[in-house]
Amino acid sequence: MDIIILLVVLVGSLGLAVIFGRYMARLITYEKRPLEKTMGQVENGFYRIIGVDRYEQMTWKQYFLAIVITNVIAAGFLMAVLLYQNNLPLSPKPGLSLDLAFNTAASFVTNTNLQHYAGEQQLSIFSQMVGLIFMMFVAPASGIAAAFAFIRGFIRKEFGLGNFYVDFTRIILTLLIPVAFFSALLLLFLGSPQTLDSTITMGTLQGGVQTIPTGPVASLESIKELGSNGGGFFSANSSHPFENPNGISNVFECILMLVIPLSLPIAYAHLIGKGRGVSILAAMMIGFGVMLALGLSESSGPAGLETRFGSFGSTLFLETSVATNTGAANAALSGMSPNAVIGFFLGMFVQAIPGADGTGMMMMIIFVILTLFLVGLMVGKTPEFMSMKINPRDVKLAAFVFLIHPALILIPTVLAYTTGSAHDTLGATTPATFTQVLYEYSSASANNGSDYLGTLANTPFWNWSTAWIMLIGRYAPIGLMLAVAGSFTLRDRKEVVEPIKTSGFLFVGVLSVMVFVLTALTFFPFLVMGPFSI
Amino acid sequence: MASKLLQTIFDKRMLKDSVTKLSPLYLAKKSPVMFTVEVGFFLVLAIGLLPTMSTEFVNENRVFYIESAVILIVTVWFATFSESLSESQARAKVDSLKNLEKEVMAKKLVDGKEISVKSTSLLVGDRVRVYAGEIVPRDGIVHSGKAFVDESMMTGESNPVFKEQDSPVMGGTKVANDSIVIEITSEAGKSFLDEMVGLIESAKRPKTKNEIALTILLAGLSLIFVTVVGTMLFFGYYLGYHMDISVLIALLVALLPTTIGGLLPAIGVAGINRLARDNIVVKSGKGIEAAGDCDVLILDKTGTITEGARRAIGFIPMEKFTEQDIGEASYAASFSDHTHEGTSIIELANEKKIEPPFMMEIMTARPVEFSSETRCSGIEFSQKKNLSGTQTPTLKTSLPRTRVCAKVEGLEESNIPVKILKGSVEAILKIATNVNEPELRWKAQEISKNGGTPLAVAINDEIIGLISLKDTLKKEIRTKLDEVRVSGITTVMITGDNQLTAQVIAKEANIDQIIAEAKPSDKLNRVVEEQLKGHVVGMIGDGTNDAPALAKADVGLAMNRGTAAAREAANMVDLDSDPSKILKVVKLGKQLLMTRGAITTFSIANDVAKYFAILPAMFMKDNPKMEILNVMQLHSPESAVLSTLIFNAIVIPILIPLSLKGVKYKPELPEKTFIKNMMIYGFGGVVFPFAGIKAIDLLLSVFMR
Repeated sequence: MDIIILLVVLVGSLGLAVIFGRYMARLITYEKRPLEKTMGQVENGFYRIIGVDRYEQMTWKQYFLAIVITNVIAAGFLMAVLLYQNNLPLSPKPGLSLDLAFNTAASFVTNTNLQHYAGEQQLSIFSQMVGLIFMMFVAPASGIAAAFAFIRGFIRKEFGLGNFYVDFTRIILTLLIPVAFFSALLLLFLGSPQTLDSTITMGTLQGGVQTIPTGPVASLESIKELGSNGGGFFSANSSHPFENPNGISNVFECILMLVIPLSLPIAYAHLIGKGRGVSILAAMMIGFGVMLALGLSESSGPAGLETRFGSFGSTLFLETSVATNTGAANAALSGMSPNAVIGFFLGMFVQAIPGADGTGMMMMIIFVILTLFLVGLMVGKTPEFMSMKINPRDVKLAAFVFLIHPALILIPTVLAYTTGSAHDTLGATTPATFTQVLYEYSSASANNGSDYLGTLANTPFWNWSTAWIMLIGRYAPIGLMLAVAGSFTLRDRKEVVEPIKTSGFLFVGVLSVMVFVLTALTFFPFLVMGPFSI
Repeated sequence: MASKLLQTIFDKRMLKDSVTKLSPLYLAKKSPVMFTVEVGFFLVLAIGLLPTMSTEFVNENRVFYIESAVILIVTVWFATFSESLSESQARAKVDSLKNLEKEVMAKKLVDGKEISVKSTSLLVGDRVRVYAGEIVPRDGIVHSGKAFVDESMMTGESNPVFKEQDSPVMGGTKVANDSIVIEITSEAGKSFLDEMVGLIESAKRPKTKNEIALTILLAGLSLIFVTVVGTMLFFGYYLGYHMDISVLIALLVALLPTTIGGLLPAIGVAGINRLARDNIVVKSGKGIEAAGDCDVLILDKTGTITEGARRAIGFIPMEKFTEQDIGEASYAASFSDHTHEGTSIIELANEKKIEPPFMMEIMTARPVEFSSETRCSGIEFSQKKNLSGTQTPTLKTSLPRTRVCAKVEGLEESNIPVKILKGSVEAILKIATNVNEPELRWKAQEISKNGGTPLAVAINDEIIGLISLKDTLKKEIRTKLDEVRVSGITTVMITGDNQLTAQVIAKEANIDQIIAEAKPSDKLNRVVEEQLKGHVVGMIGDGTNDAPALAKADVGLAMNRGTAAAREAANMVDLDSDPSKILKVVKLGKQLLMTRGAITTFSIANDVAKYFAILPAMFMKDNPKMEILNVMQLHSPESAVLSTLIFNAIVIPILIPLSLKGVKYKPELPEKTFIKNMMIYGFGGVVFPFAGIKAIDLLLSVFMR
């Protein structure tokens, strides 16, 4: 049975990815899509409203700036909503504290969805619907747009990386909204509620009266999984029966989380070569396979797990959620086995197996560039990526991308201990609590969003520190990676044969080993001190 | 050999160099990795001297600190030693090369008198007189006098060129007759050996792009490891482990890519040095690296693929004549031609036992020199009626008469001056019309088809037949070219020959593409064209007209016998003037990059075992669960740390021979090379340190009880 479920998830997500990937390839090249006329008219309306010339092409700097500006505006709006939700309609609740509001805004704009609040208790329906659901479209759309621009860097020659506003609009209107809409309908059918009431009151079997929080759960849930967001309506996240009603919804949500990260390599395959795209997909799947194998190698629970999903259902969902940097959870992390936790860490350290919507793909290509650097040297050639020379600047930018991640995880973890915050929140330092602190920052830096601490971390220290890490962990790598693409787009394309094909078994093998070794060398001691010693 | 090696090792200057290079200032600038190790050394030394500085993070005994410090500084010294060693080898080579640098004596005119001076001392505007047989010392223009100048070494044109006042002459060409006064117009080229010395001296050596990229990567890795080890100190402390700063430093040093960081400069210099061993002077490091990337080689036919000296291989008579006839005529026509081709014709005739009966006339004949107008050469019989009258009968009796003989006699008798000339088919057709032209052309084409060059021979207006000249392929050129092709390099042959001949030679030597009937500008055009397609182009050249192409090409190898302009433009100069060495350069360039890649991979792969040696040593005392990581079962935590450090240090000298000699390079598919290198340096790099560290630990345990 377990194997069938696993197969359904893999086949379902890969099957959908093939369809989505083809569509994304058209979005990347601005080619004609089905229903182009109708969609074009709607989109043009939007361009007119925001005053964008849709034919303008941007350099990497302009593109990055456009992402940042859009995101800052969106985050500012969300922060205002959260701070002043007491004055806003739909079941108003007290406004959040400044640090919590900042943390939440940063968390949702960076596609992290680390939640230091309890949704059903602290947020109004307005905040959830207008604030969070809105942001759950903005954040993945920004990430996917960045990946589009990044891929264009390798297929275009000297005419910019595309137009962010156009990409952003088209991704939201023609990709995320339709899919999220139909997924929400399906979830509704499976049992998720969708209402503007904040509570339902009903009698219990014992004759008492019970108030159950509810709201527009289905619509939030669908984009939460599809957009690698992960922030739940309830603080229990996907273990809450409204968010994840049954086994079928559990499988469906897994598929939703995987579909966009997996369709980007397919789009890449359409644009840059079938073998190359499929090889990247294969390397991602190998990494994901290792995570799953780690998770399934040891039985988790039963404490902290939903009996509806059991060890397998929880492990499958959690490993998928962490691998895609979604961060949704259908079980308490503390109930998971140490091996499963090591699997989670692996996913967050690599960020590309398959990683979040858009950024996972970008990260994997950075791994590809670094792999090719070594491969080139090994066969006595100046390293090349797609027949373009890899120059010192690329290596410098790639090295920064790799340096930022451990620095953002390790240094703040040290700070959490030296300032005493970790001790205040979690008590005595043991491998288990160390794992929780390390996990918090890994999750923040990888823009993952799953965490052990939850509302425990609603203190100024955790709120401010994780907020800044999420912001740096999101925008610094995107900026660096766009800079790489920006310089590649200026480079000469050649018809030269690559010395080692960037496709096929050999390449997939080398790439996977490279991903694993680089990650292991950086993080091995911490896994030993943390989850391994529990 | 052994004593020679010892001699180089104990070269005083080198040892001094290796010690001065330990200066932190130098290391900070040149090798961030080694600098970090040295900082570690100072820290551990300080702890060893003042163990009371901290009770929290210092808990080993003093001997351990001093031992660790010593190993650390030795690690750094091994690195500087390897660099100094390769530098000293290269310096020795440069000294020996200096003798080979071309310098000729020139007769400088001072107040009308000739003074012998070295060519390098000449200044622009100086006048020198050059006599027949002498080499023109440098580029200039003819000031006075007229002469034929042999420019074959520059242009490949074997016919001497006429020069008169104001004609430009090229340095390195040879005056064939008479003497001319030349005004020097070009600056003495900055000696390229001086440029090479600059490449060897570390302070001046500019890093190549790949070196920079690799250094950045290594610096990035180092920063990551510094972050990792730095934060470990805190985590260990808060988790209740007994952390020791020196053990952490040991872990950091072990993780740092010290092997490649230490050997990187040595590898670069070794590349220059190995080329120098083949008498190739490198002017920029970029050139060697580009050589590794070369995927198009533009090769001159003459000198590179073929010997460059055409030899007669056959006499082909016209229908009316026999081989004997054309042999005799050719003999006569070549009698006063002392070029390589001319003598080869006489030799061929001798081989075939052909000797013209009219030897006397030939010997007394007036030579007809090659001129650029007629483009043919030969002899013209002196008109001495009496002499010929008396001699003819003797000839008649001693040898059987041939048609040629009869013709010569007939002409002499009718008192017509006899001219026996040879030259290209076109040239001879202009002066000799008595021939079946289609037959001649067909036969000439046959020769071309077999890769030969036809020369026609005529007696007055009648063409007797053709001589087939052929350039022979250089020894082993085919195997060499095949090797190059396997590694994915396209070869292009450039030649002045016609399409047919060029194709035949290309086929024989296994060349991919040809440019036949090439003009001098074709080389540059082809280089640019290939580069636009994204290829990395290597070429050789020696003439002044090659200079632009040499400068444009990614790898330009100039011949030492070539002009100063060519040597100036190229990024390498071959002192032996052997064009086929370009193939060697390509191989070396690949080896250089591969050596860097292999040692980098090895260095990073080593880290796996080092984690497994030091992490248990660090944590086992306080956390029994870590026992599982202790796969090597090392003697004690101290011995584990020390043996890891010793291993880390000793790998550098162990790999010095590899970095000086370079990784083995076999011409094969890149994929195969990659798998092989990955197995040896990647997989081997993971396994070897497990064995190495364990072995050192076993040794240490004897001393440590």
